[in-house]
Order: sequence, then structure tokens, then C-alpha cells
Amino acid sequence: MLVTGIKSKPVYAPLRYDAGGRYHVMLGQEVGEAPLLRVLGDMSGSPEALARTRVLYVPLRAAAAGAAPAAAFGGAGVADVRIFGTTAALLEAFRDLLGRALMGTRLYVAGPESFIGLAMKIALEFNLNKDEIRAEECGTRARRVYCIHCRTTTENVRTNIVTCGGCTRSLLVRDHYSRRLAAYMGVMADAEVPGELPPIREVFA
Amino acid sequence: MTEAATIEVEVTAIDQVTPLIKHFRLAPVDGGTLPAFSGGSHIIVVMHGAARAHRNPYSVLSPPNRLDAYEIGVRRMEESRGGSHFMHDSVRVGSRLQIAHPVNLFGLDKIARKHVLIAGGIGITPFLAMLEDLYGGPVPYELHYSVRSPEHAAFLGRLRRREGGRVHLYCDSEQQAINFEALLGNQPLGTHVYVCGPGGMISRVAAVAKDCGWPDSHIHWEQFSAPPVGDAFEVFLARSRISVHVPPDQSLLESIEAAGVEVPYLCRGGVCGFCQTRVLEVDGELLHNDHFLSEAERASGKTIMPCVSRARCRSLLLDL
Repeated sequence: MLVTGIKSKPVYAPLRYDAGGRYHVMLGQEVGEAPLLRVLGDMSGSPEALARTRVLYVPLRAAAAGAAPAAAFGGAGVADVRIFGTTAALLEAFRDLLGRALMGTRLYVAGPESFIGLAMKIALEFNLNKDEIRAEECGTRARRVYCIHCRTTTENVRTNIVTCGGCTRSLLVRDHYSRRLAAYMGVMADAEVPGELPPIREVFA
Repeated sequence: MTEAATIEVEVTAIDQVTPLIKHFRLAPVDGGTLPAFSGGSHIIVVMHGAARAHRNPYSVLSPPNRLDAYEIGVRRMEESRGGSHFMHDSVRVGSRLQIAHPVNLFGLDKIARKHVLIAGGIGITPFLAMLEDLYGGPVPYELHYSVRSPEHAAFLGRLRRREGGRVHLYCDSEQQAINFEALLGNQPLGTHVYVCGPGGMISRVAAVAKDCGWPDSHIHWEQFSAPPVGDAFEVFLARSRISVHVPPDQSLLESIEAAGVEVPYLCRGGVCGFCQTRVLEVDGELLHNDHFLSEAERASGKTIMPCVSRARCRSLLLDL
């Protein structure tokens, strides 16, 4: 029943510094701190590039929110570090930043795929393409799932079958990914025989 | 593209728009409409001169929604192999020419958030059609037009009348030059730059854009090379089993065509890659003049673009 090998499923690679860029915007969520610090380490020999780097980060863990991440990024040589309490606030600031950004900007995103997807969705609005965006997946693999029947997006989906938050249909989570919606497609799983569902398992840890 | 695919046109108007540039209107001889095209397209014009046929690429500068005729601008080249001189000196209103269907190797990026167009001299022509696609649309754009002096600024009047402040003119004679660093260093995200003009201008724009951090995918350029003259050489076509002499003022492609062998082509200017041909053997050196092959492909010695490239050799064996 599960369909694999779907080409739209995003593929990520470890973040690397792109010295071809003039400005660098880094976004991180949760455990995305480590990859960003690694890139900043690669930039340590280029104080000019570090001076043109901005970091937007949302820790998501109450205990970690505060001075610690800001200090870590500051220690890596970035003066312009903003720590956010929610992902929504970070994304709003990110959209605002891209609205003022110039050609020559490179985007680095580190965090769970759901976060990368939301950041990419905004980057696409500004016509950034694959040459200008790098993303490294880390942390939870929980998915955003878009119900193709009622168009509700359900967050933090960890199982192969999920109850739609909008229409309560049982949705099969496909590998079919929409960059525009930043979500995987969810299709009614028991449309032919109501109630007949495959075993429900946690597959996106 | 073979001769059979050409369209017979009649020259219905000629305008001398600058001391060096003539503006031609080409209408189909059987009436009706010409094939649709998009801004940035070019056509190959086939000219039957006294000594030989010329096939030169020219950008279509007329509005893409007007298909009763195509308009082109032809600059008289100092070192012409005959094509531009033929257009300037021998073509009259009423003359007949053949053209190939339009091909676009220089189209606008459809999802760009802004377009910056940079023209040098006759390089203005593809932008005239592109501006028709951009005018009145939601995407901002600006044109930077560099010429040697005001009298050489072809089509400036009509550009200024409609585009107003979106057109920026720079005259060498007034010591005005485009500040590429300032221009390309201050563009919003999602901007695409398009440049058409002399080779030096194109390489300068590409270098400055790269320096400002622009990815290649946002930099577009077009320059049709005329096939340079060179020493005569011999080429043997392996599949056709014939030998062809390439004289100094004829291109490899033209010589092969004159011998009756068809090679697929689109631009005849070293840009599109369509006529790329496998080199089986060469006793000497390939002289690459195209803008298509990568450094690695050139170094391999296994491939050549016969529209603009030649060889300095005793013999050349091609897979044709």
C-alpha cells in the first residue's frame, strides 16, 4: 500500500559554507543548532562573511530557550543573532528579512523536515532556487500531512495512518511531497472498505 | 533544421535607424501569419549572395503578438563575411529571403521577481520583443542601454516614449558607463539579469554578478558569434565517405552543407549546441569558438561545434 521511490520526496545533504554568496542567512530549529555552528566554524577564517551573516533560531525546548544558543552563535563570530520563542515568529521575521534581502544571499536551514519545508515555502515566494538554498535535516522526522480531501494540514504526524485534524478521515501518509504546501499528501486509507486499515505503526520517529 | 523548414518572406519596409543599423520588416509572401514566438527569440535569415549563401541569426524585435511580419535589426559589421553587407547593400523593399522558424535561447524567467536588462549597441534587439512581454505586467523591470554615442542609440525614441524612466541610456561619447557593481550589488532577491551586447560586456556582467554572489541560474546572456575566418583545412566525413575542403572564409558547417550533407542546427552562432558533432580523429588542433562546450569537453578533443569552430590541422575526421 505504501508507495516509495516518489521523486518529490526531498533529499537533503549536510550543510556546507558557500563562499560564492555575499550574504548568509541561517535558520535553525531545535537540534539545528549544531549544523549551523559547524558551518560557522568553516567560516571562521572569513570575518567579512561572518559580518554579513544573520542567524534566526528557535530552540523549542523551554529549558534551552534563553541566553545559551545566542551565546554559542555569538561565540562563533555572528553579531546578528535572533532567538525566537515560536516557529511562527521566526518565519514571520524570516519573510520580512527576505523582503529586504539582496541578490547574492545564501540560505542555510537546519532542523526537522517540517521546519525546512516551511522555510523553503517562504524562500520559494522570493524565487530563491536550489543554487541559493541549502538544508540539512536533523531532529524529528514527524511530518506535516495535507489532507487531499478537506485540505487541512495536520502537524507532527509520526504514524503511517493518521486521523485528519479537519475531516477525521483516516489518511495514509504518502511520500508524495508538495513544496508549495510544505507537506506530504494524505489520502483516505479506507475508502474502498470503510474501517479496513493496515496496522498503524510509528514510522516517522 | 533543413532548408525545407524555411519560410519565404518578402522585405516590406527598410529603415536606416542609425548610421550602422538597418531595420527590416519581413512578411510572408503567401500572406497569412508567421509562427508564434516569445520575446528573446531569433530567426535564421538565409541570403543567397552572388558567391554563396549566408545564414545569419537575428533577434526578432517586433511584438510577439504581431505575427503578420517579423522585424529584425541588422548592424553592418566591419569584418563581415558578407551576411550583414548583403542585408545592407543588396536587400531592397520587395526582395525575397528565406527564414527559419523562430527559436528562443534567451527567454525571460517566468517566475522572476524582477528583470534587469542590459543591452550594448545592436544587443538591444531581443529586448525590444521582451519588453512587449513585460510591459504592463506585475513584475518590475529596467533596461540599461549602452551605446557609443546618441546617434547610435537605435529605437531609443520608441523605448523612451513608452518605458520612460525604466530606460537608462549610457553614451561612451559622454563618458557615461554602466556601474555594474552598483547595479548588480543592489538588486532584490529573485532578480534575473539578461545581457546582450559585445563579448566584453557579457563577460563583465557575468563576472560582476558572480562576484556579487549571483548564482549562474539568474544570469542570462546571448551573443551570436560570426564564424571567424581562418586557414583552409580538409575534413573527411566518415559516414558519408566524402572529403570536404573548408576555405578560409567559409565555416565548417557551411562547407559541409555545400557538399550536400545536412547537419542539424538552430542558431548558427555557437550558442544552442544543436550542431555538436563527434570528432573521430584530428591531426592537429581544434579551434573552438563557441559559447556552448565546457572546458572539459573542449580539452577532450572529441567534439566540435561546426557552426563557428574550425581546425588547424592536416586532416579532420568527423562522425557525419
